[in-house]
Amino acid sequence: MDKLVAQYSRPPHQNEMYSEQEQQDLTASVPPLSLKFSLPPVDNHSAFLRAMTDDHSNPSCPIKLAHGTTTLAFRFQGGIIVCTDSRATAGNWIASQTVKKVIPVSRLSRGEDKKSNEPTPGLLGTMAGGAADCQYWLRYLSQQCTLHEIRHKRRITVAAASKILANLTYAYKGYGLSMGTMLAGMTPQEGPALYYIDSDGTRLPGNLFCVGSGQTFAYGVLDAEYKYELTEEEALNLGRRAILAAMHRDAYSGGFINLYHVKEEGWVHHGFDDMNPIFWDTKLQKGEFSNVTSAL
Amino acid sequence: MRGPTVLKAEDDKTRQLNKHTLMAFSGESGDTVQFAEYIQANAALYSMRNDTELSPSAVANFVRGELARSLRSRSPYTVNLLLGGIDPVTEKPHLYWVDYLASLAPLPYAAHGYAQYYCLSILDKHHHPDCSLEEGLALLTLCTDELKRRLPIDYKGMLVKVVTKDGVQEIAVDNDKVVRSA
Amino acid sequence: MAQKVVEAYETGSGAGKNAPFVPIVHESLDLQADRLLPSQSNPFDINGGACVAMVGKDCVAIACDLRLGMQSLTISNNFPKIFNYAPSTYLGLTGLATDVNTVSDLFRYKVNMYRLREERDIAPQTLANLVSSSLYEKRFGPYFVSPVLAGINPTTGKPFICGFDSIGCIDFAKDFIVSGTASDQLFGTCEGLWEPDLAPEDLFETISQALLSAVDRDALSGWGAQVYIIEKDKVTQRLLKGRQD
Repeated sequence: MDKLVAQYSRPPHQNEMYSEQEQQDLTASVPPLSLKFSLPPVDNHSAFLRAMTDDHSNPSCPIKLAHGTTTLAFRFQGGIIVCTDSRATAGNWIASQTVKKVIPVSRLSRGEDKKSNEPTPGLLGTMAGGAADCQYWLRYLSQQCTLHEIRHKRRITVAAASKILANLTYAYKGYGLSMGTMLAGMTPQEGPALYYIDSDGTRLPGNLFCVGSGQTFAYGVLDAEYKYELTEEEALNLGRRAILAAMHRDAYSGGFINLYHVKEEGWVHHGFDDMNPIFWDTKLQKGEFSNVTSAL
Repeated sequence: MRGPTVLKAEDDKTRQLNKHTLMAFSGESGDTVQFAEYIQANAALYSMRNDTELSPSAVANFVRGELARSLRSRSPYTVNLLLGGIDPVTEKPHLYWVDYLASLAPLPYAAHGYAQYYCLSILDKHHHPDCSLEEGLALLTLCTDELKRRLPIDYKGMLVKVVTKDGVQEIAVDNDKVVRSA
Repeated sequence: MAQKVVEAYETGSGAGKNAPFVPIVHESLDLQADRLLPSQSNPFDINGGACVAMVGKDCVAIACDLRLGMQSLTISNNFPKIFNYAPSTYLGLTGLATDVNTVSDLFRYKVNMYRLREERDIAPQTLANLVSSSLYEKRFGPYFVSPVLAGINPTTGKPFICGFDSIGCIDFAKDFIVSGTASDQLFGTCEGLWEPDLAPEDLFETISQALLSAVDRDALSGWGAQVYIIEKDKVTQRLLKGRQD
């Protein structure tokens, strides 16, 4: 009965939501975009940039940016699971297998100097698309969120933080930014909140997102077994298994499984584990991946 | 499909090549049926001349050879194929994946087009080589549900055929099920 | 206009220090070739795959990965690219998968005909010339494959390896031959690991490490590997459990 009530009643902090005006004030306190980026001395710089960097339409382009990714995040009754691969590719060259694609946002709660395994308050952002774009703008977002914490003496909501990022990507729309990111966090006002933001300026709240070249494979595994009532262990395993599926089938995803759980008190890191032993365990013990040969 | 119009909602995109072999196809309209029926006729001709059936692997290699020959001609067939069959001698099931470039791969499970991107990961997780027909059909439903959920098109239902050692039979499926997204 | 920037900027001190970013533009046919195959890149890079052969002391080794892909999508993890044409003669084929199939079938036919006519097995040197002239027959519409040949001559007992480009130029080598999408990486690993006169077991270790390290840095090849160690009267085949990503 309690479960049913919880399911159909509003979250406990429903009435503590920011008003429309407050939301406006929060995002308006962000400084105008005065960051100066130099542009190439050509008439149409976005077309020029595309010609130089887009190796999909032109494989012999001179500058190959690092991209290719699978990232996923989903909401469930116990919070939010965030999971990514760790591969960066430049064309067919694997540039790195140890990229950290989950970025803690807000400097005050990054937990870099933290030793225990206690939850760290704050938001998590994921990285897909141009590696440099994501790193730079999530760092910028960190800065804004930290300033917000100092100014307002409380943590920023996920809604507001995602709006800052979306406004930013929208301001640079057409300049050739390439990013697909998810912001996950749990605040007293919102409960577990998950937003998808990309370089077109899209900003979507939702229950379940997969982003990157391996997204479809992750969606396949996730959709088949996802439900909001998943237990914590089931949710962690499902997130891990969905990324594993994408790493196996997508050439541009792979490396290590980076797993996070966002809870009421903050986020907890559940390991940065090499996919290969996990894959062979899954195959040999559970009999999955029957397409892979293990004997001559 | 012709432009924005669905011409026919229940088109059979398979051809039976002999008693134990079935070929499913997709690709350029016109090419698909022409090529499939050309193969069907040649497989039938072989069966009549030699009074025996070609094994699935023999059919697959014949099909691949014909598609590869056409690939370097002036107007190649743009056809993707899946060939399923039971070897009449060993009674073992075989599945072959052939794309429009005439690459051939024997696989435990396969798909073509966008379905590959959504379904292969599901099959990787849930497929077992010795699953029963019921388990197989349940797995197929898992795949088609995902396509209904994530593909931005309405593909107007599925046609399911099963190849056993007794031949090919069609299976009735519920095409009206509505799938909801998370 | 088909243009390609060959050199983006100078890194030297002095002269070009504050010069504006001026690309040096050359005419090139590269982009026009791309336009003929819309959205599909180089035919050699569509399916992915890697192959390497090495010489040891009285033995040779040849190894390949097992991936068949379509661009980023991995279709099969069991697509061997090494084919056997005589008791101690093996041919590895990387490149476009359809041509790997076609060319391997073609040589099976040609070598079978040779064996029936001559009533003996084909020698690796003979197969090398057969491969070369067969590929050149398609000079103006080539098979998109880069073959690698490894074997032991049945009469002299000497190891023999060679590689080819897609239209039949033979590349004889005393040490190793590489091909496929991971060939740049393979050159590096082989240069680093290979040494002369390796015994069969050491050669196996060397070629396996060279191949696995190379494909781990290439997105389009890997997913397991096959290795053949060929000695005078003995061939050992092994399966390597590579990374599955």
